[in-house]
Amino acid sequence: MDRRTLLALGAFGAGTLLTSRAQGAVKLFASQALPAGRLARPLIVLQLSGGNDGLSTVVPYAEDAYHRARPSIAHTKDKLLVLDEYRGLHPELKRLRAAFDKGQLAIVEGVGYPKPNRSHFESYDIWHAADPRGRALGQGWIGRACEKACEGDTNPNLVVHVGANVPYALHSTKHPAATFVNPAAYRWAGGEHETDAYAKASGAMDDGAAAEKPVRREGESSVEFLRRVMNDGHSSSLAVRRAAARYQTPIEYPRNDALATSLRDVAALVNSDIGSRVLSLELGGFDTHTDQRNRHDNLMRQLDGALGAFLADLGRSERGQAAIVLVFSEFGRRVAENGSRGTDHGVAAPLFVLGQRIKGGLHGKHPSFDKLDAGDLAHTTDFRSVYATLIERCFGIKHEDVLGAKFALAPLA
Amino acid sequence: MSNPSAIAFLLALAAAPLCAQAPLVGQATDVAPAAPGWNAQRAEHLLNRASFGARPAEIDFAVRTGQREFVRLLLQGFVEPAEPFFLDPPVRPDRRELAAMDEKQRRDALERFRRDEREMLFAYSGWWIEQMVEAEHPLREKLVLFWHGYFTSSMRDVKNAEAMIRQNELFRRHALGNFGELLRAVLRDPAMLEYLDNNQNRKDKPNENLARELMELFTLGVGNYSEQDIKEAARALTGWRTQGGNEALYAARQHDNGKKTILGRTGRFDADDLVDILLEQPACPRWVAGRLLEHFEGRKPSEERLTEYATLLKNSKYELAPFFEKLLLDERFYAPELVGERIAGPVEYMVGSVRRLGVAVPPSLLWLAAGQLGQRLFDPPNVKGWEGGEAWITTSTLLARGNMAGMLLGVVRLEDVLKDDAFDAGDEPGMMGGEMAGAPMDGAMGGDSMSSGEMSGAPKTPRKPEKKVDLGPELTAMKRLLGTVYYPRINLTARLSRTGRSTDGEIIDFLADELLPIALTDESRSALVEFLASERRALDCDDGRLLGAGVKAEGVLRRLAHLILSMPEAQVS
Repeated sequence: MDRRTLLALGAFGAGTLLTSRAQGAVKLFASQALPAGRLARPLIVLQLSGGNDGLSTVVPYAEDAYHRARPSIAHTKDKLLVLDEYRGLHPELKRLRAAFDKGQLAIVEGVGYPKPNRSHFESYDIWHAADPRGRALGQGWIGRACEKACEGDTNPNLVVHVGANVPYALHSTKHPAATFVNPAAYRWAGGEHETDAYAKASGAMDDGAAAEKPVRREGESSVEFLRRVMNDGHSSSLAVRRAAARYQTPIEYPRNDALATSLRDVAALVNSDIGSRVLSLELGGFDTHTDQRNRHDNLMRQLDGALGAFLADLGRSERGQAAIVLVFSEFGRRVAENGSRGTDHGVAAPLFVLGQRIKGGLHGKHPSFDKLDAGDLAHTTDFRSVYATLIERCFGIKHEDVLGAKFALAPLA
Repeated sequence: MSNPSAIAFLLALAAAPLCAQAPLVGQATDVAPAAPGWNAQRAEHLLNRASFGARPAEIDFAVRTGQREFVRLLLQGFVEPAEPFFLDPPVRPDRRELAAMDEKQRRDALERFRRDEREMLFAYSGWWIEQMVEAEHPLREKLVLFWHGYFTSSMRDVKNAEAMIRQNELFRRHALGNFGELLRAVLRDPAMLEYLDNNQNRKDKPNENLARELMELFTLGVGNYSEQDIKEAARALTGWRTQGGNEALYAARQHDNGKKTILGRTGRFDADDLVDILLEQPACPRWVAGRLLEHFEGRKPSEERLTEYATLLKNSKYELAPFFEKLLLDERFYAPELVGERIAGPVEYMVGSVRRLGVAVPPSLLWLAAGQLGQRLFDPPNVKGWEGGEAWITTSTLLARGNMAGMLLGVVRLEDVLKDDAFDAGDEPGMMGGEMAGAPMDGAMGGDSMSSGEMSGAPKTPRKPEKKVDLGPELTAMKRLLGTVYYPRINLTARLSRTGRSTDGEIIDFLADELLPIALTDESRSALVEFLASERRALDCDDGRLLGAGVKAEGVLRRLAHLILSMPEAQVS
């Protein structure tokens, strides 16, 4: 880490003072002090839900077996954004191709895990918990990393999910995610006096001290849980609305696109620093059992436009430049197409890591078409190797403390 | 006591918004003495879970009827079901008609058809919500909602309003019937066949989607079958497909009649054989019982109870009524550690709030509001339906629940919720404003007088020109309903005056008792007391005199009710 970055961190990592007349309370959120050698790199996680077809994302066009298995949905070399003599990016991924050329996109090939599970929900759980047993540990991998790295941080915006359903990866007993879809509507709309009473009932203190975020106890009642969320929501909504309403950027995001709009909000939070260290989003629609070409092409276009703009926007602040973006899906899809010009659930697939300061290029090894596992590509890189790197770089802690075992660090950042 | 007309009368009384406090008619006295321990608190718990929240008169009735008899009534319904929805589905312009049109006419015709479809489903959704609010057969409606999340299908994928409505009617028909029959019907249900791609599941070209979810989500749960079982089961399901989007048919030529080996049995199985095989699996009654218990109790059952209820289900050949009769009479269902611990889903929260408030609300408005809170009927997030429980609650949905309650009370407008100029972009330079001091909440929010259900006051400082926000179809529809159809016909002042409650403490306790499914906690109560006292003093009233302050008192009471419905205690069931 260079000196410039440290100085910048000093500026952005300083405590943020929030006041609200309506709340009648002042809250001070101390961001984690960062010892030398630890760079708080914001982590942005984008989940492509439904099982993104890896073979249509990074296409092994030179592989005969690929074309044989997919007579009606294969991509041909002439349309692809060729990366080398074996593989090419989906034709719609033009901006990501440019990022790749600038070293801002890392493609990790053949990512998966042993004993693959082809159920959406089971496989989500395994990815989210980073545990082959699924939800056995009671917290997601990000929740556990925050618990280790962010002890005592009471900022409710430490972990943010932009979207309706919070993924299990963020599940945490100590740092539950703040959630919103539209920042403007992220509020309790009562009059000033009611809002005071609302804050008081939520347990917010009037004396200027931040309420101690209660630890989720074994046996905590539902009402206690609800009151804690109420308290978090009340203070989180102030900070998020403020950051989003004030955000100005020259970057043009695609219009009328929910993913692009949400990524713009994420950029607002990262660039204006309200203490968020993890920001999560989801893009659905990847479960392409039928008519895959059309649907997948549209999804790739949407992904490319939104991510391209977002990456450029991140370049405008030190924190944004330090950020690491993970794009993953719960599994890839079967090599052979099915009877409905679609594909069924599969196993290994490439994932993307993006950022201004990552080690771009191709990582890992493309799975072999000669050794299919029940018709699926077998994984060559364990997803926890990718997580291991993200845990060390973004949280500054040992990955085995979160993952429970040592994994080879994928050299991504 | 089993006089349906008396009950109908009672419920009708309770349903009238301004009569929520009407004294009970005396028909309910000729009943068996209450079982020991059967009291108002338990009755309310039962009605929270087996109905959509309780009105005071209903609790009273349940107590006087006795637990056993009241559970019997819950299983059979209080009154004859309302008239079924009259389904008059829009007709898709046929190929020949379309062929005769030019490009623009064709586009318009199809657009008109799609709009008619949406409106049909919207109308039906309102009808469905009305069944919940009226609660003539509340347990049945509770189960229709449950099955909608269990055997879920989505309009987004099915794209056929009639099929979605027929599926809902199927759930209602079988809601408290036999699970095996329900399952069989679901595998012939056009919406399900479309949703899980069975139209594409053909002999020699199997599509596994339906087979996988059938085992994983409908009958067995993960770990009780193999990938090979799914492949073979998919073959058994070949041949069932839809025609015209809303009719199911069996195409024998597309059925794979070969031998299959499923869960250890081999034969030329078809869909019905597959159901038989699944129902015989020991995992099946455990799966179904576990899902039902978790839904109705708000937590996973102990191993012992799961076994007990799975055995009952198996022995009764999957009949659901005995299951619920046992559950609702089970002492453990009323254990203190279960009461008030189940998080209400958005539909339950909205319908429950309306019932407890005793306010008449256009049902479509409730459907839209529940959608804003994360549960849009006919549009579940994925094939697993809604996750439920704590997953309903995020910082965002919890704030929004309060906002939706505020709309019912007429103290929150859509514009208030969506106001994004609370923080002026222009008041500080740059995107990273350094220390962000000040930035008060919008001053217009603090109005203290109220008439015709609106907050008073205009922005005090000139603001940047109002940004034209595209609300999207749902919020636009909501705004239209709120602006044109909806007027909150409640009169809390009159309600309180009639009961003789007048001091701050009495007012709060009365409203909390009416509006909350469980008792108010001290933390919430002290915030409410402080609020009410300060609002009362602002009107120059002594304690006990607030109700004399006319329209201003009503404003205070409605804002108090808004706060009460925003409390943690209002979010459970």
